[in-house]
Amino acid sequence: MPDGLKPATGTKGATRVWDLPTRIFHWSLVALIATGLLSGYFAPAWWLDIHSWAGYGIAGLIIFRLVWAVFGFEYSRFSNFTYAPGETLRHLRSFLRRQPGHYTGHNPLGAMMVFALIAVISGIVVSGLVSLGGKEDQGPLATVASYSVGKTADDIHEILAGILVGLIGLHIGGVLVESILSRENLVRSMISGWKTRLSSREPAAPRPARPRAALAVFAVAALLIGSAFTVLAGLPATGLTTAAAHPAFEAECSDCHQLYHPSLLPAASWRDMMASLDQHFGEDASLDDGDRTSITGHLVKHAAGHWDSKAAHKFRTISEQEPWQISATPGWKRIHKEIPEADFKRPKVKSKSNCLGCHSDAASGRFHNQNIRLPKE
Amino acid sequence: MHSPFTNFAAALVLALSATAFAINVEAAASDPILAGFAESAKASTPGFTGFSAERGKRLFLSKQTSGKPETPSCTTCHGNSPQSRGQTRADKPIEPMALSHTPNRYSDPKKVAKWFRRNCKSVLGRECTALEKGDFITFMATQ
Ligand code: HEC
Ligand code: HEC
Ligand code: HEC
Repeated sequence: MPDGLKPATGTKGATRVWDLPTRIFHWSLVALIATGLLSGYFAPAWWLDIHSWAGYGIAGLIIFRLVWAVFGFEYSRFSNFTYAPGETLRHLRSFLRRQPGHYTGHNPLGAMMVFALIAVISGIVVSGLVSLGGKEDQGPLATVASYSVGKTADDIHEILAGILVGLIGLHIGGVLVESILSRENLVRSMISGWKTRLSSREPAAPRPARPRAALAVFAVAALLIGSAFTVLAGLPATGLTTAAAHPAFEAECSDCHQLYHPSLLPAASWRDMMASLDQHFGEDASLDDGDRTSITGHLVKHAAGHWDSKAAHKFRTISEQEPWQISATPGWKRIHKEIPEADFKRPKVKSKSNCLGCHSDAASGRFHNQNIRLPKE
Repeated sequence: MHSPFTNFAAALVLALSATAFAINVEAAASDPILAGFAESAKASTPGFTGFSAERGKRLFLSKQTSGKPETPSCTTCHGNSPQSRGQTRADKPIEPMALSHTPNRYSDPKKVAKWFRRNCKSVLGRECTALEKGDFITFMATQ
């Protein structure tokens, strides 16, 4: 017999190929990737928590899979389906002739897809985490990722997500074509774990799974990552620093409207606004000189340029015509352009200037996605 | 000729304004802010005899054309009666101006000066006189 030929075993001449952990991994990944893609592309901004929890789940699954790639049952091990380039090319040619060579586990094309998917998904998880930390000032990297790093990561995150959608299409197409050509329902195999058509090149002694070793390595990895995140979370924040309380500012600037956070306009806008308070949006908001000087100092000290938060970056370019109005900045208009005018006229909102009507954390300058609510009345 | 009725009515009006004046003097004495306005009013208004709730009421309700077009009247923001809540132009609620409804009003000199300065400029296009300020507070104190 040629090397490693082994008769088919198991019920009805079938053999178990996909072990239970790999199958659970596969279908959990399907569910979480679907959640991530749907919430990322279609859900409103305030579903960010669902999106990021899908991401954390996916990260856990990928780490598990990398461990299982070493300690899993034969066909789950990466070494089972790492092929030389020559063999991959040969397989591709036979596939294009619609007579693909048969493999019990992943064939070379399938293997390439597995590696590509794991690489792209890992990239998505990492870029997502950096974006969450840098742009949104949330998650374990909030204290280390700057806004600009987060923004770049966000662009990469989007590009990789597009690539992932393409790969998923190819993966499903490949599975369907292969199922037809090999007369084996591969989707059912990934559910039951069994395959009926076996390769002549079956390994003589499939390596058994080593669940205890896998668990130990997984636990160590989880512990390391967990402690790294804890340490990071304890570092000084890059994004939102806190402004010291300023009672005069808080009292005088909240008499007619909600208090606007100093980070929402650049220093020059605050200086100009404070120099002409008697002409304040069609109203006289004049103060005595002591209060005016002290409040100006507070606003300038904590103006947009001193913050690395999302809002401070978005609104620091002001409108030429209305240099004092946050809701007139190009950034503000861009972010809010899809909100119907009627939503700003609702009794609970009334005007674009009423940030608090839709952003429950407006006072802190955070404007986290999770804290957005469009009032229905 | 005076009928007994007009005589009676005149006597009544006299008696009532005397009481009102008494109340004002009393209020001015116990309220340093009002006393301050009374002092300046006496200096600047010949024949000043006291603040009038009636004039204060007129100031509160009247429509003006000399100020900003967005704010033709005190009632634009303070609501149509001293007992009702008002609203700023940025839609923040304002507690009623009547002292009986919002007891801590007209007690902080800095706050009173600030808002008279701002609101009179917005509505009348000029600062209010001490007489107007005293009348306004007197009116609100009776409400
Ligand atoms: C006398 C009332 C009054 C006071 C006091 C006042 N404001 Fe305003 N402010 C307004 C009005 C009215 C608007 C316009 C709101 C609108 O367009 O709905 C406004 C708008 C603003 C805006 C623009 C909001 C937007 O749409 O982007 C900023 C910023 C602002 N005010 C800052 C301040 C600061 C800082 C202070 C304290 C020094 C202050 N305001 C005190 C009445 C006031
Ligand atoms: C009618 C409700 C409404 C009002 C009023 C409103 N916003 Fe928003 N805002 C939203 C919604 C909805 C979004 C999410 C837009 C999206 O991403 O699709 C948003 C997004 C934002 C974001 C970006 C969040 C992100 O992660 O992309 C910032 C910052 C922001 N708003 C600031 C403001 C400020 C400042 C004001 C007041 C001057 C304001 N908003 C007033 C509804 C509102
Ligand atoms: C543009 C809106 C607006 C207009 C018009 C307006 N006010 Fe006011 N006024 C306010 C606000 C806001 C406050 C402060 C809120 C509070 O004290 O509850 C205030 C407070 C006051 C106070 C201080 C009350 C206190 O508690 O000490 C006085 C006095 C006052 N207004 C008088 C007037 C008079 C007189 C007019 C008409 C000439 C007028 N206001 C018109 C908005 C307005």
